Amino acid sequence: MALGWQPALVLGVVSLIGAAMFAWPLLLQPPDEFAHTSDAPFVFVLILPMLLAVVLSEVHRGGLDTKALAMLGVLSAIGAVLRPMGAGTAGIELVFFLLVLAGRVYGPGFGFVLGCTTMASSALLTGGVGPWLPFQMLAAGWVGLGAGLLPCHRLRGRAEIALLAAYGAVAAFAYGFVMNLWFWPFTLGAGTQLSYVVGAPLLENLHRFVLFTLATSAWGWDLGRALTNVVAICLLGPAVLVVLRRSVRRASFGAPVTFSPGTASAVPARAVLASALPASSAVAEPVDDGTGASPLGRAPGDRSPPSA
Amino acid sequence: MITFDHVSVRYPDADHLALVDVELHIDEGELCLVTGRTGVGKSTLLGAMSGLVPHFTGGHLSGRVVVAGRDTASHPPRELADVVGVVGQDPLAGFVTDDVEAELAYGMEQLAVSPAVMRKRVEETLDLLGIAELRSRPLRTLSGGQQQRVAIGAALTAQPRVLVLDEPTSALDPTAAEDVLAAITRLVHDLGITVVVAEHRLERVVQYADVVAEVLADGSVRYGPPAELLRDAAVAPPVVHLGRLMAWEPLPLSVRDARRRATVLRQELADRPQPLRASVRPSGAPLLATRRLSVTHGAVVAVRDVDLALAAGEVTALMGRNGAGKSSLLWALQGSGSRHSGSVSVDGRDPAELPAAEGRRLVGLVPQTPADLLYLESVAAECACADQESGQPTGGCAALLDRLVVGIDHQAHPRDLSEGQKLALVLAVQLTARPQVVLLDEPTRGLDYDAKERLVEVLGELTSQGRSVVVATHDVEFVAAAADRVVVLADGEVVADGPTAEVVVASAAFAPQVAKILHPEPWLTVTEVADVLRSSAERVAP
Amino acid sequence: MNAFGGSRTALRLPRPLHPGAWWLWALGMATAASRTTNPLLLALLIAVVAQVVAARRTDAPWARGFKAYIILGLVVIAIRVVFRMLLDGQHGTHVLFTLPEIPLPEAAMGIRLGGPVSLEGVLAAFYDGLRLATLLICIGAANVLANPKRLLAAIPPALHEVGVAITVALTMAPQLLESGQRVRRAQRLRGDAPGRVERLRRIVVPVLTDALDRSLLLAAAMDSRGYGRRAQVPTRTRLVVSALVLAGLAGVAVGTYGLLDATTPAALGLPVVAVGLLLAGVGLSVGGRGVRRTRYRPDPWRAPEWGVATTGALVAVALVVIGGINSAGLHPSVQPLEWPTLPPLATLAILVGLLPAVLAPPVRPPTPRRRVAVDSSAASSTSTTGRGARASSGSDAASGDDIARPPVVVEVRT
Repeated sequence: MALGWQPALVLGVVSLIGAAMFAWPLLLQPPDEFAHTSDAPFVFVLILPMLLAVVLSEVHRGGLDTKALAMLGVLSAIGAVLRPMGAGTAGIELVFFLLVLAGRVYGPGFGFVLGCTTMASSALLTGGVGPWLPFQMLAAGWVGLGAGLLPCHRLRGRAEIALLAAYGAVAAFAYGFVMNLWFWPFTLGAGTQLSYVVGAPLLENLHRFVLFTLATSAWGWDLGRALTNVVAICLLGPAVLVVLRRSVRRASFGAPVTFSPGTASAVPARAVLASALPASSAVAEPVDDGTGASPLGRAPGDRSPPSA
Repeated sequence: MITFDHVSVRYPDADHLALVDVELHIDEGELCLVTGRTGVGKSTLLGAMSGLVPHFTGGHLSGRVVVAGRDTASHPPRELADVVGVVGQDPLAGFVTDDVEAELAYGMEQLAVSPAVMRKRVEETLDLLGIAELRSRPLRTLSGGQQQRVAIGAALTAQPRVLVLDEPTSALDPTAAEDVLAAITRLVHDLGITVVVAEHRLERVVQYADVVAEVLADGSVRYGPPAELLRDAAVAPPVVHLGRLMAWEPLPLSVRDARRRATVLRQELADRPQPLRASVRPSGAPLLATRRLSVTHGAVVAVRDVDLALAAGEVTALMGRNGAGKSSLLWALQGSGSRHSGSVSVDGRDPAELPAAEGRRLVGLVPQTPADLLYLESVAAECACADQESGQPTGGCAALLDRLVVGIDHQAHPRDLSEGQKLALVLAVQLTARPQVVLLDEPTRGLDYDAKERLVEVLGELTSQGRSVVVATHDVEFVAAAADRVVVLADGEVVADGPTAEVVVASAAFAPQVAKILHPEPWLTVTEVADVLRSSAERVAP
Repeated sequence: MNAFGGSRTALRLPRPLHPGAWWLWALGMATAASRTTNPLLLALLIAVVAQVVAARRTDAPWARGFKAYIILGLVVIAIRVVFRMLLDGQHGTHVLFTLPEIPLPEAAMGIRLGGPVSLEGVLAAFYDGLRLATLLICIGAANVLANPKRLLAAIPPALHEVGVAITVALTMAPQLLESGQRVRRAQRLRGDAPGRVERLRRIVVPVLTDALDRSLLLAAAMDSRGYGRRAQVPTRTRLVVSALVLAGLAGVAVGTYGLLDATTPAALGLPVVAVGLLLAGVGLSVGGRGVRRTRYRPDPWRAPEWGVATTGALVAVALVVIGGINSAGLHPSVQPLEWPTLPPLATLAILVGLLPAVLAPPVRPPTPRRRVAVDSSAASSTSTTGRGARASSGSDAASGDDIARPPVVVEVRT
């Protein structure tokens, strides 16, 4: 499921803005005591949901049909069920494993939306809706997006599993890193030696943050998440990839839909069939199922029309 | 209302046509029954009516399908939603929301019906289908029959002029199926809605049908009045088979019609020797015996103090309404289900006390959804795995499977098999461990007449090898054909236990069609009647 | 209560409040919490929120998580205080005790672990932690009070598709758990699989395959029930929508930069973000106009909703204004040490947040005072949390045509 240029552009721009919002502790440059600067993180909490709304709406309009939508719902449900399962034990989060595999099979746009909907459904199921949710959604969306953008589409077998496992490990660390970064000033508060210092040079804050991450989550949650990812992808990956690819095949996304009018019954039926059916496009004129006579028409890009 | 004009359908990447040159005309207010063997294209025919074929599935459709004046070529399913309501096999899979009211309203929301009208129609539909007391229940917690009625209601709220149902009762037990079919016939009679229904429990609907359309093996369709068409249709209910045997004209379609025609036959049969049924079997020590077996689920007692002895070479049918404890009993017999008290002994050993791999060598169980046991990518891989886990030489399971069902593609994905083939595969997997006792939970769900006949033969083979078979089922026709003994459970207790004919003939609920027609004579199946007539004819002839 | 219009009885009939109203109230309370570090005020705020939760919580599954948020709050405070003790960067004068010092290697910028722990440091960390904990608890309150499914139903048309995906996910999740249990049980019939991974695989593969197969059936059902009907959007409108969305995003990008870099003029920050969001929002709503659908029994937004939402806004605005005039009371000093006091105005403002405990309609029907129970057998069995309760609000029923009247259950608890 390829993205059109416009959803891709919107996704790119939103990702850029989102990245800035994640990295605000490093980028914030208050010269003096300007009041509005300290509000930046709170403003971001308000902006990000709307940005997500824009990008999700665009990606949906740009090429997810009903079948993809239903699959999205089902896979989100699986993710939402998997997420609380290992939550008690350090970092055993099985969501990302599914997200990486699904992103790989269904493509970047689907992967991004799946990351978002998985986090949202899980939050709604467990009562975890809050300002952090849009950030989780965006970060998980990136994980799925990245998996879809991985190179070597023809790669199969062990090499593919190795690629996905490596990506899974990186993605797990990256997810932990950006989520920590965004919340770091709040986790620690001011005044400790690893605390965020408003307005300090980027490198100094980065250094403090890296130390903070190393001191806290890197060896527990992030490592646990990365290991879970690698182990799950290596052991369950091959089987799950087969299941996911089978579902793509069964759904026959974008399979050509064609019609040809029946010829008058004077011609013997068999003869009509013989001429009309075996892919002889001279007789079988493709009909775009939304133009013309339809009273309501159909959404643009709802399904890729048969290439006429 | 529905017109097919020289319609042929080819799916993408298919090398043959799914439908070939179909001419079909269904008038307003008719109930059209679509029959045919499994896999011949009934679903394609119905899909073409709702526009799902080819808009949803992909493929090429030549000819014209016009439904309520709309050509499906220019109207994708969503543009037909206000004239065609669709109900599928598995209601739960088609639900978008999670409570009854929201589900009923969903279609209307999509059609932008005004809120006041929606409210009114939801209330009317709740009453029409008798589901008003379920209005705020989560759909997941409803029984299958209730779910299917909600699904029909959800299709009706959009006030379609055509209702298309694809095997709406195949996943239901007979009581639930009865409810659903009663609801459907009421729709035809009270609302005048045009109904097209594919159904393999013909015995329940065929008497209400105005038209029968039979999809033939080559993808062509013939249609006509039921009494004419069923004279030589491939699929027919027992009453029709009896009618054909006796050459009754016109062909009776209901028990009532047949019973009125059968006066002579009953008198004739009264003088004949009773059908030879294994009412008393010579049996030594039972293969499996239970003592005061009880199963509890929380506070509910599912099985209460059951003493049961299963003899070798015997097919026992376990009957009773939903929740009577049939499944609980089977799982407890197998040993992997929970057990409250009591003991099970197979050859002096209790399967529950053995490891799972050992237990299945004593007792094999095929659960209600056989596909749950399958997790590999091809039939061949499943078979190889079964050989390995049972410690049998390679190829054993595959050979067994080929004996059970003809022409199964070993490279196919297990999920793509038909219900009958899936059942056969799981049965083969379980039989590879060579258990002496084989338990089947609702095996006839989703099977057509052919598959059921084949299953009867398979069970016969199993018992002839000295195994004991227990089948938990609601299917009275199947019991009549397959079982030697019937055990009726109610509320976890055994309320009747005896030879099939004795238990079944006397029962209003469990009597098969032939028994109802010939009551009080103890004949259960058309085959038995045919045999006795033939043998007496032979005796007369010389 | 009558100040918000509607008769007294209409307000008192049980019905769920619009989830949006609960969220607005909770966000108002959270904003108020973010404006103070005064532990007394924060404690009062927590008490107020907890009281409202206790008064208006249903017994639905999502309404049980409040305790978890309180625990989470305590954890947050503990993390703050422990880190402050271990890594105190600014020494206070009142040293409580001294931890053994561990110098870290060069790469760690000369950070040292341990050392003297000052009362000032610990208190500052506690105040700050308490503020964050209060924020979390306010959000927890919204999660507990607002029905997530109704929240989803109130999603704007532009996000309809995403909403559907999430609705499907919420519907499927419990089914998946059931199917997982069923498969696990069934797989034991094939004998125990060697190894945990194999066992997991034997569960994951059938459940996943089954779920994905069913998603196709679901998609077909949705298609044939009219999902995805859209009015034809003219090409020009589509171009305009694209332009609006892209321009809006550009605005947000510039504005975000402005917010982050305060050396730029202040006007480049918030105002540009606002304009950008507005453009994108207009674009979305124009694009969403193509979606033609109606909503079945939408949650009404009436006097109680206005009341609850306004309350939250009032508390937030009051604390912001008070902080702007005199922030001393809201931020008790820790250097030098000072006892926190309860500033009267702020206290009063926070107490206003208690109003939803009475403004919101009750979740259970009130006990009748004068009338005798009408038909207690029919009444007692109906759940008060779901739609059953809403049936009795009556006024959103269809207007007076010949409806087969819903069996309105008179719910009376004695």
